[in-house]
Amino acid sequence: MSDRIFGLLMLALAVAYGWGAQQFPVPFGEAEAVGPETFPILLSVLLGFCSLYMMLRPDPDNGWPVGRTLTEMVVVLIVLLAYTAILEELGFVISTTLAVGILCWRMGARLKSAFLVAFLGGVVVYLLFNFVLELPLPAGLLEVV
Amino acid sequence: MDTLHYLLQGFAVALEPTNLMFALMGAFLGTLIGALPGLGPANGVAILIPLAFSLGLPPETALIMLTSVYAGAMYGGRISSILLNIPGDEPAMMTCLDGYPMAQKGKAAEALAISAIASCLGSFIATIGLILLAPVLAKVALSFGPAEYFALFVLAFATLGGITGKNPVKTLMAASIGLMIATVGIDLSTGVQRYTFNVLELYEGIDFIIAIVGLFAISELLVFIEHRAGKGHEIIHMNPLKLSWADIRNILPTTFRGGIIGFISGVLPGAGASLGSFISYTLEKKVVGDKGAFGTGDPRGVAAPEAGNNGAANGALVPMLTLGVPGSGTTAVLLAMLISLNITPGPMMFTQHADVVWGVIAALLIGNVLLLLLNIPLVGIFVRLLSVPPYFLLPIVTMVAFVGIYSISHSLFDLYFMIAFGVIGYVLRKLDIPLVPVILGLLLGPEMEKNLRHAMTISDGDWSILWSSGLSIGLWAVAALGLILPMVVGPILRRRMKKNEA
Repeated sequence: MSDRIFGLLMLALAVAYGWGAQQFPVPFGEAEAVGPETFPILLSVLLGFCSLYMMLRPDPDNGWPVGRTLTEMVVVLIVLLAYTAILEELGFVISTTLAVGILCWRMGARLKSAFLVAFLGGVVVYLLFNFVLELPLPAGLLEVV
Repeated sequence: MDTLHYLLQGFAVALEPTNLMFALMGAFLGTLIGALPGLGPANGVAILIPLAFSLGLPPETALIMLTSVYAGAMYGGRISSILLNIPGDEPAMMTCLDGYPMAQKGKAAEALAISAIASCLGSFIATIGLILLAPVLAKVALSFGPAEYFALFVLAFATLGGITGKNPVKTLMAASIGLMIATVGIDLSTGVQRYTFNVLELYEGIDFIIAIVGLFAISELLVFIEHRAGKGHEIIHMNPLKLSWADIRNILPTTFRGGIIGFISGVLPGAGASLGSFISYTLEKKVVGDKGAFGTGDPRGVAAPEAGNNGAANGALVPMLTLGVPGSGTTAVLLAMLISLNITPGPMMFTQHADVVWGVIAALLIGNVLLLLLNIPLVGIFVRLLSVPPYFLLPIVTMVAFVGIYSISHSLFDLYFMIAFGVIGYVLRKLDIPLVPVILGLLLGPEMEKNLRHAMTISDGDWSILWSSGLSIGLWAVAALGLILPMVVGPILRRRMKKNEA
């Protein structure tokens, strides 16, 4: 079933992508044999055929995560997005301790050791990058210290 | 004679102290990556690329380090096959068959040492093959016109799924998705904006390094969470090593055959390391016959697949270096490194960047010796790594991925993009759509379109130029075979590999 749904989505993408290619403005000067739209149109035809085949001859489903597993995965995604959002504000060490700590904990480590590993990892990578590799990472709140 | 001269030059490059240091570091990191559970070679090389890039290493140094990582990962993969009966990566599957029984009989140290020797010799043989074959192939490739290149790219996609691949249509689908992503941005030859939706960050196109790291590393994290891989393995105690010359001599012929077979299957499109180790194992079983104790811990059963998969790994570098067309996931990632260093892979590389190419080849030879030296005395350290629980490992790997991408451009936008690619990668994996063609599409897209353009300009808009020369017809025919064969031969081969496993 999921093959059919994905096939349908990809078919929609192929059509939209092909239509998009038709809308490109004609480039400056005379039109050439192969313009900016030719290759995309070829691709949209190829993807269209593949997605039709996928809808007609779908493989058996692998089963999608439901319930708790799905919630865990969404939590992880939120952690990753939040990690990015706070990286520059709070600085690398603090945000890494929080993000990696939560990840380790959610994946099954004990709370204390999870945050300890995350903190040590963050500090080591921060020192390594800023002083050995000379690729500065944001200090954030720790800047004053 | 020319070759020898270039090779000596290569050694001069590879033996520079900095390069040697990076080779050693790469070899160590590579073995580590290969040994760690759930971190395949392509994945490992992928998360190191941003670092090599933002450190601003010279091209030959960066490439030497990453090829050492690549070679090292092949060594590392065998450790968990032998000790835990869990292959570290796909090609190491065959090593389980005799490696694990040997370990159970209390000969784990011998199995590890033998596999290290076989790996070293196997890739040594294949590197010699590479030295002999690559310049010849590069010369042939010089006669390729744009039409032949276009056909060659099609061939690369068609054979990427491999003969043992499940569904060639899904490979093609993945390839077209990758190629489509590659068209985003300003079209270089006409200046027309394509699919940018007026977002400034998209004008320059989507950086394939971000896509690769997202697709591999972030999706791996999601897959692990779904399967709850749980705790690490208990620490395994090793027996003291007792290896005599007779033991080594015993595996030499096997290793030799395995290396050659591996090399051939690495060079050929659509074969790859898994098939290389499978064929060398089954052939060896036939050659030795009833005298061997295959499947119950025969040292030759460890040597054959290891020589085979290391041979194949080096063989896979031949099409990547000479034609710019990688045949495996890891070589695709290495290609990404080359492109991001502004080196156009392909036959011209042998003349324009001779120091890079030959430096890398020499580094392969040196790297192998380093790996052997690293792997026999230090194997205990790598063994201990097997007990690192994935719940610490994967978050740390994720952090390294974040740091790497961030250090390239200091852009948070790129990090969000990487997370998005991680989700896409997870969905594709769940649907059994392979990720490597997506990446190859991203990498080869611009070149493919350029060659199509040139061909059509030459022919003044006549599409038949694409199949007008004997060479291009040949390439199209192999491409077609690459799509049809998996449907015919694939099920039979897969069944046989399964039967061997059981």
